[in-house]
Amino acid sequence: MSGEAGFGIVPFGDAAVLIELGRPAGIAAARLAQSVASAIDGLRLGGVGLGEPVPAATTVLVTFDPLVLTADDVEVLITPVTADAATSPGRDALPAGRLHEVPVRYGGDHGPDLDGVARETGLAPNTVIELHSTATYEVLFLGFAPGFAYLGDLPAALVLPRLSTPRPGVPAGSVAIAGAMTAVYPHASAGGWRLLGRTDVSLFDARSTPPSRLRPGDHVRFVPI
Amino acid sequence: MTLLGDRVLEIIEPGLLLTIQDGGRPGLAREGVTRGGAADRFSLEVANALVANAPDAAALEATLLGPTVRALRPVTLGLAGTMAARVLETGLPVEPGATVTLHEGETLELQAATAARAYIALPGGIDVALVLGSRSTSLATGFGGLDGRALRAGDALSIGGDPVVPRAQWPGAASPAPVTRELPLRVLPGPNAAERGPELHALAATTWTVSPTSDRMGIRLDGLPLDGPPLPEVASHGVVAGTVQLPPDRRPIVLLADHQPTGGYPVIGVVISADLPRLGQLAPGATVAFATTAPRDARAALASDVEAREAAHAHLRDATRWDELWREAGA
Repeated sequence: MSGEAGFGIVPFGDAAVLIELGRPAGIAAARLAQSVASAIDGLRLGGVGLGEPVPAATTVLVTFDPLVLTADDVEVLITPVTADAATSPGRDALPAGRLHEVPVRYGGDHGPDLDGVARETGLAPNTVIELHSTATYEVLFLGFAPGFAYLGDLPAALVLPRLSTPRPGVPAGSVAIAGAMTAVYPHASAGGWRLLGRTDVSLFDARSTPPSRLRPGDHVRFVPI
Repeated sequence: MTLLGDRVLEIIEPGLLLTIQDGGRPGLAREGVTRGGAADRFSLEVANALVANAPDAAALEATLLGPTVRALRPVTLGLAGTMAARVLETGLPVEPGATVTLHEGETLELQAATAARAYIALPGGIDVALVLGSRSTSLATGFGGLDGRALRAGDALSIGGDPVVPRAQWPGAASPAPVTRELPLRVLPGPNAAERGPELHALAATTWTVSPTSDRMGIRLDGLPLDGPPLPEVASHGVVAGTVQLPPDRRPIVLLADHQPTGGYPVIGVVISADLPRLGQLAPGATVAFATTAPRDARAALASDVEAREAAHAHLRDATRWDELWREAGA
């Protein structure tokens, strides 16, 4: 642990370390994770054997070449930039992102969990739709699958755990919620999030640069159609 | 010399799962794109070395049941991993670690794997489009390789080099050491070492069987579930190949090449880098044992593997050079 900055760096096997930022999940922690990852990208330009940093909700995974560096070496390299990002006010501000409007068909076959979410939250289905579609979300980070953007923060009234048993098949374009986050599944896959609706918007194209349409710091609003 | 785009090899029968794989797409986790690539990168490297390719060149990855391929023109193949083969027309056997030069129309049949995977390399690598910097097939999302899908009968492949190269033999094992109780997978603690100590200890104390539901994303392990209550899910964080996750049913999953770039299951350990190729050779039904190790030993194991590989590459280059000199001398 690194004193007042509140973060810790722990080994993750022989070729990665995990920076635990010590902040509660949410927009501020996710911005800090992105900012730390950018700072580590800066270090990588020096060619020191550091690999890809993977920012997430409250952590940054940093891979490295175990024939060049040890986990201790990596900790020494990344502690100053992490401390700098964690203690500098304003350093976690990303450049203002774009606003994406995502049209969604809520409920029915498009959102098979809408009624269940309404039941478990004690809200009417239309209120669930209204709450989900009036909030503006920030792209916190990408992960899970190509183009899958974790969006936050979900209105508190809609916060529910993941399904206890994941679905083997979630259709592409499904708009879903889990915990304090919401997301669009860009491709068909298995998944444990609760499905509220579906969109035709494509969020990933392997032949585009960059391939994912939603970037960390961008904002998203869902528009019922 | 063939013209670029000329087809040299036709798939007659793909076996269980035949895909194009190379070294994968490192550095794209922030797009949600995992590294992917060959499940056993050691055997990929051996197959490529046999036909004088770079270690990560695009090759065929065959799974469990051997494919059958036919030469559309004379072509040399490098075979590595855990499938033997024979040329149907001549009966010529081909062992992993060797090349075979097929005449036009000749057919190579690979046998069932003794472990999980074999690699067939072609001179210059398989010529498909680079997608996000790699020719690897991403099956889950459907991009890379040939139209983002597994190969099927009738597909024909072009290559990036002169199709016939000198005969070569890899001086050493052409697949990683199998996982046994005597040679277990070596694991280091995960990020929550203090809390997950009991689970890591139990992982190493149990003998596991590879579940038939395993795939390129992960090796699922059957056995007595680890004792104790379900562990709480954690905030999703970046993960690497070799990460041992413990889902709520307490049956461990070891992440393989196509793993998701972030995961929310608790991590109880991480397989060391030197043992990652061995993970790629675990077939359903195989016995898996783990042993904890120390970072210093993990590093020594990797350094020693790399040294052995470099020596083998040097030996292979020298042998090929002598072969050429003898031929030139008319011997």
